[in-house]
Amino acid sequence: MKRLLPLLALLASLPARAETPQQILDGLVAQSGAASAARGEQFFRAKSAEGKTAESCATCHTDNPKAAGQHVKTHKTIDPIAPVAQKDRFTDPAKVEKWFKRNCNEVLSRACTAQEKADFVAYMISVK
Amino acid sequence: MVDAGITWKNLLTLALAVGASALVIARAPADDDAVFPMPAGKTYVNECGSCHTAFAPGLLPARSWRKMMAELSNHFGEDASLEEPHRLAIQKDLENLAADSPSSNMRMRRIHGAIAANAAPQRISETGYFRYMHDEVPAHIWKRKKIGTPGNCIACHTRANEGRYGEREVRIPPQ
Repeated sequence: MKRLLPLLALLASLPARAETPQQILDGLVAQSGAASAARGEQFFRAKSAEGKTAESCATCHTDNPKAAGQHVKTHKTIDPIAPVAQKDRFTDPAKVEKWFKRNCNEVLSRACTAQEKADFVAYMISVK
Repeated sequence: MVDAGITWKNLLTLALAVGASALVIARAPADDDAVFPMPAGKTYVNECGSCHTAFAPGLLPARSWRKMMAELSNHFGEDASLEEPHRLAIQKDLENLAADSPSSNMRMRRIHGAIAANAAPQRISETGYFRYMHDEVPAHIWKRKKIGTPGNCIACHTRANEGRYGEREVRIPPQ
């Protein structure tokens, strides 16, 4: 067992297994119902009264998911969020969860539901 | 009496002296490059550099970073909480490479020297050294859309995420 420890440590330090956006979506749909890209688009653009510094997803990500966005406060450039424009989007489940957690809290002051997340990812995949 | 006229010997001496100086200057540690040590690995740039420039730890003293890392749930008004193992690892890197760390270089010591001993500034742009280095940047440039705020280092310091702030690598966005 002792000999295995360095190997296990190495495995644990490797980045999470890459998935495809479709696999990420399937994982979310399994927790909700069928996903709707149209609902996802509405959600992406909807203005929230609960927003802390951003009132909608589009505030930072712009109205066009294929365009680079800009953090509303720090002005740092944000890579496009649609996988068609930015290959590594929605390929790392841990990263996807991290940003849903942060940004849902930022814009809605609450966690997003599995349905909202599934719709959101479905919309992003549908952007061509 | 020293032969001070223009002779081949004196010209040769002069040429050698100029050449040697040039070599010394070219090989001197390039202080103008303003290079700061950065944490190893990708955790720091991934976790901290997603929302803003991955600021070089040497831009603030350790006490500033300790305070910041203890208040991540309200990080300049946003929730930037990290998983505890990441938070601890990042805080250790920040302290090890801070402006007042034993490994600090001359520039980091000057940054630290301009901060009051009882102060733990949270904004790099409010430190004396930052102000001194940017005092020639007019207000209208800061307001350009691609810059927007003095904390947006990477807008002009194109290699800021590698800890490089040298003037030669500054590219000010035209708008």
